[in-house]
Amino acid sequence: MRHIGILQFTQHLDDAVRGFKAGLEDCGANAAFTYLNADGNAALLPALAAELAGRGVELIFACSTPAAKAAVELAASIPVVFTPVFDPAGAGLLAAGKATGMAGMVPAAAKVAFIRRLLPAARTVGVLYHDGDANAVLEAENFRAAAAGSYEIINFAVSRSDHLSTFDERLAVKPDVLFLPIGRVVEENFATVAYYAELAGVPVVASSPANVAAGAVGALAADHHKLGYACAGQAARILAGADPGSLPVGRAENPDIFLNAAAARQLGLVLPADLIAIAREVYE
Amino acid sequence: MSEVELLAPAGTWDALEAAVEAGADAVYLGGKRFNMRLHRRDANFDDDGLARAVEYTRARGVRLYVTVNNLVSEAELPELRAYLAFLQELGPDALIVQDPCLLELARSEGLKLPLHASVMMNTHNEAAVRTLQEYGVTRVIFSRELSLAQLTLIRDRTGIELEYFVHGDMCVAHSGQCLHSGVVFGQSSNRGRCLKPCRWPYGFTAADAPLAADRDPGPYKLALKDMCLYLHLPQLIQAGVVSFKIEGRMRTADFVGRITGLYRRAIDRYLADPAGYAADQAELRELHAARARDFSTCYAFGNPGAAAVGFSGAREPRFFSQAVKEASTAAPAAGLPAVVAGGAAPARALLTVRVADKEALAAAYENGADVAYVGGEAFRPARPWTLADIAAGVATAEARGAALVVTTPRITTERECGELAVLLRLLEALKPHGVMVSNPGALRLAGELTTLPLYADFSFNLFNSLTARWLNRQGVSRATVSLEATGLQAAAMAAASPLPLEVVVHGPLEAMVMDYCLPRALLGNGTPAGLCRDVCQGGDFALTDSAGERHAVKIDQYCRNHILFGRDLCLAGRLAPLAAAGIGAFRIEGQHYSPGHVGEVVAAYRRELDGTAAPEGPAAGIGARRPLGVGVFRYEASR
Repeated sequence: MRHIGILQFTQHLDDAVRGFKAGLEDCGANAAFTYLNADGNAALLPALAAELAGRGVELIFACSTPAAKAAVELAASIPVVFTPVFDPAGAGLLAAGKATGMAGMVPAAAKVAFIRRLLPAARTVGVLYHDGDANAVLEAENFRAAAAGSYEIINFAVSRSDHLSTFDERLAVKPDVLFLPIGRVVEENFATVAYYAELAGVPVVASSPANVAAGAVGALAADHHKLGYACAGQAARILAGADPGSLPVGRAENPDIFLNAAAARQLGLVLPADLIAIAREVYE
Repeated sequence: MSEVELLAPAGTWDALEAAVEAGADAVYLGGKRFNMRLHRRDANFDDDGLARAVEYTRARGVRLYVTVNNLVSEAELPELRAYLAFLQELGPDALIVQDPCLLELARSEGLKLPLHASVMMNTHNEAAVRTLQEYGVTRVIFSRELSLAQLTLIRDRTGIELEYFVHGDMCVAHSGQCLHSGVVFGQSSNRGRCLKPCRWPYGFTAADAPLAADRDPGPYKLALKDMCLYLHLPQLIQAGVVSFKIEGRMRTADFVGRITGLYRRAIDRYLADPAGYAADQAELRELHAARARDFSTCYAFGNPGAAAVGFSGAREPRFFSQAVKEASTAAPAAGLPAVVAGGAAPARALLTVRVADKEALAAAYENGADVAYVGGEAFRPARPWTLADIAAGVATAEARGAALVVTTPRITTERECGELAVLLRLLEALKPHGVMVSNPGALRLAGELTTLPLYADFSFNLFNSLTARWLNRQGVSRATVSLEATGLQAAAMAAASPLPLEVVVHGPLEAMVMDYCLPRALLGNGTPAGLCRDVCQGGDFALTDSAGERHAVKIDQYCRNHILFGRDLCLAGRLAPLAAAGIGAFRIEGQHYSPGHVGEVVAAYRRELDGTAAPEGPAAGIGARRPLGVGVFRYEASR
């Protein structure tokens, strides 16, 4: 019986945990779990990581960048397997050689191609992101690079969540589509973005499935269950003696398509049949 | 010692298991529909999940309550009937309900399940409990503004079971009476979609002067701390609370298990040896370490004032939205296209107006109001209507061939009910043309104490024709539609309603009503409640949000704070589709307007209803003193 700690940042990532447990079962690993969840409160993560170490876990499965950081920064040399982490190297998770995992980043080129298929008439893309979030800044950069030459980009950086309250003033320069890179501030306050986008008649392409359910027209997002499942393979190798630092960080393959038919209808858009056919969810 | 029940939330199967393993006596959970907490895709139980949950809890001797605690729209009624039949078959231990249509259905469909009145029903007086008991309600989750002492009194008089929130996230506004999210975003807190405007940052002004920086405790002026009564379990048990409810159907299994375990152990230790009980310090530290927000005992021991608010926002776990600019009258109103001048169809609907004083009453009648509402809340600096004022008002109405209806406060706890009973008995002799009531308790009192026609105000949250039928059964002869219903939803309701419906079409609407007093919290220098009569006398207070909307804060004679939307509702030029749908009355909320302005507004709507709108447009002559907008009418349907 191996003792594995699970360090969870928010309930929204529970799919990754389910995938991880299913993967370990399929590997035949006999494991007991200690699951701790910060319930969205990042400040609690270091203490929760320490609690896992105190309970003598042999490996920590950490969901999200802040959870992974808390686990890697423990004094003890407990191996860490993480997901979904957007930029593991940039977040400093790999330097100590005790962590590996699955990056949750959907390649920017894939997101650009998704927008092209979803909204073929679009020429200008507004990119709305929180510039205090390293992941959001990085994805916005990657997106601009991938879209260079095919789209005109309008940058909408916000430095504080309450600045979204006056986003309508910036939408005076109206893009054909508004793209939201990943990032908690914009994702959480999506209702405000959607309120103004709807008034301006601008379709929103998000990065989180929850935002599609709430009115974005579509998103291309990594499947957390699959990421967790892949992490289980890495964890099994570590428990069998592999050095975590020697295992390469994996990448999300075949991200899922989420669409919102009601949002499309309201904008007078027709969702392409070929996208509907392969979508993981089409919200009504 | 009475039996007590520890009641835990379960938003997911994992949380359900965690709650049961941690020793919950009962759990509450919702289906995928007709249920609060609908923002989350991965939360709540589908029909199979509900069936499995009933099986799982029954096998373990744990009670299970299913939440059906949303307002139900007309379009959802058929589905609701089917869902209730399914639940009847399933046989959970009770349903937790909000919409009175559930009371109506429970009776007409012969539902055998006990009903619990959700906190969203905003039950806060004895008379309301008596009505609920007649419909099979065995337990009430009372308004969180009631103290334990008030609850004990109601329980002793009615025998109702008390359920009380002991831990978790709380509303700053009276539950079920917060319209902010619904009106602005079309996502109603009464339909499980609250976007939490009470968690927005706000500036506060008195007579347009902002708070001095050194007096401003922080921007999160409405951000109530989390309830925590862990240290007060003995008082709760002795007060006769039978069910200790933990809030948190959005919470993780980990959180639910941990909190349930802490309360379980404390309750068991107390019941085993009450006189020898002391709180366990280690457990208390654990509870404190696991907190998201700071803790408060909220209203359990009286009004906590500023002590219950986390002004800094530092511990706010997450946000759901940021403030937005409210929709102006230039925004399209779905289902209510603005008509061109002269194109309005004359309507036989009544034009009603609520006024603050005698001068405004005269102006309303002079400009063509059919009915005026007087009384109820008097907002500072206005004074309450005396019996003599009402008598004079009735005479004015009679002289004009119009009607005067006496309205009553929205929230009527013990004090207001006592005053209301006296008023109702005396009104009989003054012969006004009716009484308008705002909650089931006031409705019951009015039915018992007068023979006057009864009208239901918007705070009944009328959202479907079955609720209209229920109101009709309680003696109501005209009912006001929920302020969160859109034009299309009001029209659908009217088509099936057994009694005439009234729609509010103009005026400042209240986003929230609170027992928390902002002037006392921010200007009162820590003065205790009841000793601060002068703090709010200036009267001109406002909250300003990050979108720049100025929300006036109006204070009534009971010290309740009423927060207005930034824009007054204005449907001038858009009444034709509502009139065609058979709406019986159109109301102007004029109680915050000067007499002159009441006259202007009433005249504009009178012209529209008479089909004589000015060539320059139906809104001509309104001469707005405040920004105008279309509110929830921007949307096709409240989600």
